[in-house]
Amino acid sequence: MDSAATASDGSAGSYSELELPPEIGFVDMPFRPSWNIEGFATGWQSQIGRDVKIETTLFQPEKVELSSFAIKIPNQKIHTLSFDFPESPQWQIASQAKPPASNPANPDEPGKGATGSIPQRSSAPSSITRIRPPKDLVKLEDRLYYVLQPPLETLVSNAKLEFAFQPFPYQFEGIAFLFSRETAILADEMGLGKTMQAITTVRMLLLANQLRTVLLVCPKPLVTNWVREFRLWAPEIPVAVIEGDSAKRQWMWNQPGLPVRIANYELLMRDREQLQGNLHFDLVILDEAQRIKNRNSTTSEIARGISRCRSWALTGTPIENTPEDLVSIFEFLQPGYLRDGMSLKQMGQATRDHILRRTKDKVLTEMPPKLFRDAELDLTSEQLATYKAAEDEGVIQLSDMGQELTIQHVFELVLRLKQICNFDPVTGASCKLERLEADLEEVAASGQKAIVFSQWVQSLDRMSDVLKRYNPLSYHGRIPSDKRDPILKEFKENPKRHVLLMSYGAGAVGLNLQFCRYVFLFDRWWNPAIEDQAINRAHRLGAAGSVTVTRMLVAGTIEERIHKVLEEKRELFNALFAEAGTPPSLGLNQGDIFGLFNLKVPKAKKAA
Amino acid sequence: MSTTKGNEHSILGFLTVRQHPELGYLGGFLLVNSLARPLEFHCTLPVKPTRAQSILYGPTLVDFLCGEQIARTLVSKAKLQPVIVFTDSSAVLSLRNVSEIPVCCVSSKKSETASKELLLPPSQQAGVSVGELSGHKILVDGAHRSDWDFVVKRSQELLQQVDLLEPFTRIVEALQEAHPASKAA
Repeated sequence: MDSAATASDGSAGSYSELELPPEIGFVDMPFRPSWNIEGFATGWQSQIGRDVKIETTLFQPEKVELSSFAIKIPNQKIHTLSFDFPESPQWQIASQAKPPASNPANPDEPGKGATGSIPQRSSAPSSITRIRPPKDLVKLEDRLYYVLQPPLETLVSNAKLEFAFQPFPYQFEGIAFLFSRETAILADEMGLGKTMQAITTVRMLLLANQLRTVLLVCPKPLVTNWVREFRLWAPEIPVAVIEGDSAKRQWMWNQPGLPVRIANYELLMRDREQLQGNLHFDLVILDEAQRIKNRNSTTSEIARGISRCRSWALTGTPIENTPEDLVSIFEFLQPGYLRDGMSLKQMGQATRDHILRRTKDKVLTEMPPKLFRDAELDLTSEQLATYKAAEDEGVIQLSDMGQELTIQHVFELVLRLKQICNFDPVTGASCKLERLEADLEEVAASGQKAIVFSQWVQSLDRMSDVLKRYNPLSYHGRIPSDKRDPILKEFKENPKRHVLLMSYGAGAVGLNLQFCRYVFLFDRWWNPAIEDQAINRAHRLGAAGSVTVTRMLVAGTIEERIHKVLEEKRELFNALFAEAGTPPSLGLNQGDIFGLFNLKVPKAKKAA
Repeated sequence: MSTTKGNEHSILGFLTVRQHPELGYLGGFLLVNSLARPLEFHCTLPVKPTRAQSILYGPTLVDFLCGEQIARTLVSKAKLQPVIVFTDSSAVLSLRNVSEIPVCCVSSKKSETASKELLLPPSQQAGVSVGELSGHKILVDGAHRSDWDFVVKRSQELLQQVDLLEPFTRIVEALQEAHPASKAA
């Protein structure tokens, strides 16, 4: 039997099972059940009748002092890192330069930068190019400076930097690559705009106050080219060319407030004392940096000794002959970074973050094609007789020399045979020239222009006599420097000039002749990289159409044998930039040259 | 090198709080000028809620931690005063309860600032959707709808050359630089 009662009000009731109130304090209170049990009861009846003993207590809250405790919720201390990036006020200034004078409809003078023949792409590029810090940049603040920059395209548009032509996405990547690097090699294939990328990066670094003084060193024939490129891509930057007599040059070296100075490699020697004195540059750029591939040369030594913060090298052929060329360039960028004893794979891995190379087929799908046409020819009867006699006699002589045989002897024979392949020394007969004449007839008839390369000025002179009706011009080492630019201008502007005869040495680097649709390699160079340079005088940014390259090769001669060896090496050229693999030497090595005549390298030579 | 701290009337703040499954919460605050160039950057070390906070704040823990703790700390560290703070996490909207600076959350359907390692923390507070700006949906704290009016009034001046979502990508990368452990292995 259960009954409920409310203990708090003390009302009568009962509990079959009492749950005593908790330990809150109670005062005693009498409690009587409400029912009456009469008589003497036994068993369960006695239990019912018995008074229930209940102890109760009255709770009066107003008389009770409540105690409590607070639970404080501690907030954890939040630790922060803070970085300031002082803003250069020059970014806020919009470019003051007037729009460039070049009209897209009229190509620029020869030798100038990218011409209006580049197809104009509509509006802003859709790609986003981020500036990334180099892997060897350790300080967090420096890394964050680059990571927190807006995309390059935003930087450019917000700063209202005007460009002569809209840069390609890969060029923005090149700019981003150079922007954050103290040491870098921009090794894009010739014709992809290394000049533009370097100039634009210099422009942005000057705006960001990351640079104040820049020295650009280039081959002498390219000085005017660089001046024109600066005028085109960064017209607001004052550029000074170091030239003139000693007093003038000294004044120019020491003149304050000149952000960019341009000097040629030959000048480094003459002004050595100046350069190794108190001069310091925030950035030194070496154009055609393969010029310092011989680290023991005075030029290399002087270049390495220039005081500077940043070092960049621009070259389409960082490895012209052997990987040691790259070691020499790195002696300028970061002495000791590459060692002679390093394996080629190690070298590739070590340099990967410092070298950026793109090739046209990868980045410029809209470039017109480069069409190779190998003209395999047979010697004329006169040439054949002379050639056979010379080769047989020459090989016998080489064989008889035994241990006294040197590579120089072999070279002399190779060169003599190659010259015979060009022209018979007695009669002047030439199978190549006959072919060239025939091809040039077509070129001239279609109103186009062609460049003909040869390694011998004598060959160029002979061609010039025979090709008179095409009004040829010559451009080689014997042409005085001050006459070279006018020659190029004449070649470009005069529609009657259909042929430019160029030597590999004078014409292989830096010039822009993208209005030419035909390139003839009258004789082949030892190194495919040099041939590529020559071809890319025409096949480069701004080329109006495809470029046809005719490589002349006489079958059954030394030329064919050299060609086979070089073809194998050409396929391995990019191995240094591949993930794995051992890149070989790119020119003909000693073994290759001796092997042209099935000769073995003398033992003494091998030890050397 | 002569420098300027930038025109204080055109300083924008971009603040995000991300959650790493092991490290905890990471906050980053980037101040940029009207050209979107960085002026200051502040980031927190990893923050984990205490046991007491986890129990007592319950479902409001994320908003409390992200907005009132992390975001408030970051804003207090800034030397420059931004005119507005944009965030990509609605959990940060609770910053508005402890700060006078207008706060707007930029929402996008496709997460353009996504990072596999640093995730946007889930929020109890949905925020109030008030409109669109530069193609992005904007949320503000329910008690501070005036923040939207402020943004609309100044958008022409402030946002002409700034993309609203792009700075968050930079902040996430900066957080990964500052905390290499937060990068994917």
